[in-house]
Order: sequence, then C-alpha cells, then structure tokens
Amino acid sequence: MTYYNNAVITKRELLVRLIQLLDNNELLDRIDRIPVEMRPRTNSPIRCCVHKDRAVMKYKIMALLGFNIADEEDELTPLKEYAKDALKGYTQNGNFLTVVDEACSSCVQVNYTVSNLCQGCEGRPCQVNCPKDAIMVINGKANIDHQKCVNCGICQKACPFHAIAYLPVPCEESCPVKAIRKNADGIEEIDFEKCIHCGKCMTACPFGAISEKSQILNLYYNIKHQNEKTVAMVAPAILSQFKASSSQILSSIKAIGFDHVIEVAEGANLTTKNETQELLERIEEGAPFMTTSCCPSYAEFTDKHAPELKPFISHTPSPMAYTAALAKERFPDHNVVFIGPCLAKRREAFKHQDIDYVITTEELGALLAALKIDIGQSEDSNNIAKDIMPESRGYAASGGVTTAIKSVLSSDHNISTQLIDGIDKKSIRLLKSFAKKAPASAFIEVMACDGGCINGPVNVSPLKVSQTMLKKAIQEVEQVCC
Amino acid sequence: MLTKPTYKVQICCGTMCHIMGGAELHLLHDRLPDSLKGKVDVEGLTCMGKCNTGKNEHPCALVNGEVIENASIQKIITKLLTTHTNDLL
Repeated sequence: MTYYNNAVITKRELLVRLIQLLDNNELLDRIDRIPVEMRPRTNSPIRCCVHKDRAVMKYKIMALLGFNIADEEDELTPLKEYAKDALKGYTQNGNFLTVVDEACSSCVQVNYTVSNLCQGCEGRPCQVNCPKDAIMVINGKANIDHQKCVNCGICQKACPFHAIAYLPVPCEESCPVKAIRKNADGIEEIDFEKCIHCGKCMTACPFGAISEKSQILNLYYNIKHQNEKTVAMVAPAILSQFKASSSQILSSIKAIGFDHVIEVAEGANLTTKNETQELLERIEEGAPFMTTSCCPSYAEFTDKHAPELKPFISHTPSPMAYTAALAKERFPDHNVVFIGPCLAKRREAFKHQDIDYVITTEELGALLAALKIDIGQSEDSNNIAKDIMPESRGYAASGGVTTAIKSVLSSDHNISTQLIDGIDKKSIRLLKSFAKKAPASAFIEVMACDGGCINGPVNVSPLKVSQTMLKKAIQEVEQVCC
Repeated sequence: MLTKPTYKVQICCGTMCHIMGGAELHLLHDRLPDSLKGKVDVEGLTCMGKCNTGKNEHPCALVNGEVIENASIQKIITKLLTTHTNDLL
C-alpha cells in the first residue's frame, strides 16, 4: 500500500508554508493568503470551482492549526484569528482527528451503481434476484432505487455483463472499528467513543478530508520566539524515513532548535528488559498468554472495544513513556517533544503528564524543509548513545518487539510467539477469540499498522524504502555498540 | 557476463524533494520494465537548490545528468526509454 497522492502533498505543502511564514514572522499577516496562493485562478479547478478549492484549503489550515472544524462559530472568522490562538497552544480534548467537512465529497450512500455497460437484457437477473425490489428498468437500463437498496450486492454478482460496479467509501471501509459514519447531510463524522486513532481513515481519504490536529506551530513558536527549552525524543521509525545516516538525522533535528535530542530506543532498552521479566513472571503464575502494550492504537482498541483482553496486556510502559521519564530526569526544566510516525501517540501523550508535544514524521519533514536544513549535508557526528541495543531500534518494524525480547531471554526459555501485523476486521476477530480460548503462543505482539511503526499513517517514505533504511539504522548502532 | 549499468538516475534526497514525493522515487528499481532491468544505477543526491526557485519543481531527479522536474517514476522511465544514448532504440 502506498500513501502517495496529491492530497498528501497538499497537506505537506500547507505545513511547509505555515512554518515558513512563522519563521519569517509573517504568519498573521499572510496566513489568509495561503488559500489564494495555493489555488490561483485556473480553468481546471480540482472541485467545482476555485472558490470551493480555496475554502477547502482554509479549513485544512484550520485543522492543521489544531482546531475542530465543527467548532467554527462564524464562517467569516479569518485564519489570522485562529493562528493567534494556535500560537498560544490549543486546549486539547483528547481527540486528535477532525473531518474537514468542506473537503469531504460525501461519497455514495449506496455502494452499488449501474454503469453504462448495462445491456438491458431480457433475463434481467439483477431485477429478479433483488431481495428488496430496488431495481427498475428505465429506458432499457437498470436503475437502483437508493431508498430501497440495502447494499447486499446480489445484483452485482447476478449481472453477466459486470455492468454493476461496487463503489467503496474509502474512510468507512478502512476503519477497523466502524468509528466513521455519515451524518444526516452525508458528511462523515467520527465517533470518538469508538475511534482508536489508527489513522487509517486519514490516509484512505483521497480528498484529504480527514485531518489530524497538529501542534507544530505552537511548538515551533515556543522554540523560536519564546526560547522554550525542549528535549526531542526521536522514535526509531523516524530513522527509517529519510535518506541519510541516523546520526545525520539526529543532528538535523537538533539544528531545528531543540536543546537536546534523545532516541526513544533508549527507553525501548528498558521496555525490553521489564517486559521480558513481566512475561516470565506471568507464565510462572499460570497466565495463558500476554500481549504487548507499546502500540497506543492497540491499547486504545482494548480500552474501547475489547476490555476482555485487558488482563492479558503487558503493564510495562511503552518506550516513549520510559524515554520521557529519562528526559525529565536528565533535563528537569525542559519540555518534552515526541517525534514519531504515529497518530495514536498523540493520544498516549495526552494521557501522559511527562510529554508536552507530539509531532509527526511529516511535520518534522516540513520543519526541516521550511528551515532549509538538508539532512544529507548535516553533520555526521558521533551522537548516538552508546548503550542503545540494536534490537531497540528494531521496535519500529513488526516483529521487532518479539526479536528484542528473544534477544534477552536465555536459551532455556522456550516461549512461542505470534505477531498480529496490522489491526483490521479480520485480526480483530482473532484477537477477541484469544480472550475466550487462549492462543497457542504465550507472547503476542500487536501492531496496529501492518509492517509496524515504519508504516505509520504520518510517515513520508514508502514501506519498502523504510525497511531498507531501518536495517541500515540498526547496523549503524551495531557498529557503535560492538 | 554481467550487464553493466548504462544509465545513471540520481534522486534528490533534499528534505523538500523527499517529502514532496521524492521518497517514492526510490521504488524505481522495482518498477523498471524488463528492457531496462539491470541497466540503471540509482543513487541519492543532496539538495540541488531547486526548492529555492519558488516554482514548485520538486521532486527533482537527474537522468544521465539531465534534470527532471516534478519527477515521477513514470516520467523517469519515459526519459530512460527515449534518451538519445539509449542502446535499445
């Protein structure tokens, strides 16, 4: 699967422009021009007309400033007003996604449509097999009555000309927990009682209508203009996202203006040690199995959808939590910034008092691009902490936690393991079955993204490139430590 | 006998190009048509300064030294197939 499309590029261009304006002290003066600059008058607008395109831009910016689109009170409020508030930092409510309703194309209500391939045949199998009597033939062509259709798909299977097409609603289809549905106006709405912040809807929507609420402007403003002291915690997956050595990536991050940079792999060392200990203790006590807890989307899934799995989840804190504790210990008067590939980490950090900001790979890339920091030309200094285990960087790929735990288990422990690579409707059924009937394996690693964190929803490199780069990053640390 | 790479594709790995679609270009090797397999050498480049022109030319790549603006995998392949020094023509 690839995330690359023009909607993704638009989001990144908006991020770069916003940061550039902030960096040049022009944000408040020029922010309302961005929609006009990015969508100039043209004969080939993307949607119905240039005004619609600009309105979409405006609301996408509003979301990137950290606002809920639904909270808009006055449509005439300029972006400048929102930007002023965004620089002060928005009040988080624990929900980090918002639907940009202006951008939502209100995809089909009924998933089946008759194409012009319909031959109007004598047999009319679509019509005679429809259980709801929803098909009428008008002017020699089948038509589906949207009031009657229940999306069963029998007409599609029955048509020998393949004239009936299935039209998916990408966001709804990608959501593993049915948390996104249309409201009465046909616009999608997210139910935060159900949402696990996996980010799948956001990457699935080709209109870019689902946006995360970003903290990037508030963070950069505080670093640059308020001289706030900050520590950046860099997730191992970040090292797989840019074509440069890991020490170059770390020194570029420092060049943005963070006072210190720590790798989350340092915290992963502790997670590995303590989670292995916990696993052995649990097995001793007769527990049938234990699952990992470091994937925040999986943790939120068990909270909201599978409380029966909670007794089996490891209580060991995630690498991010351990690293935050290390950061606060080493630099007590600094604010802590987590930089990672994950949307659900925003949620984990929200509940965690030691973490002050979360920014994503995309936002990091936009920061570096806007500030013209070229990673490939940055210092390749010897800045990798000596005690990082190679397996700790390996956490970023599926199977990494298992590999790390096996690396510290002595050979007389023969523990069987299983990997749940990606939370989808099928793996949810499997996970739920574990609570009723214990799985054959004692240790279950669960990753909400297939491929692991290197395939996170807010990454910039395709999975295959990330895998190669992560291997390199692991080798680099092997050379340092051994 | 081994076929030596005949074409050199250089992909800009500057941060702007990389986040604006350049990262995808590194999949070029997997998408090459059979006629080009084993003949293309892919390497990375540091920023060429194209992102400073304000003309939205990213992502950039060089094919045998010639600049491709707003590069895509398909654009690079088309260039490879039509280039003058192409021994396949």
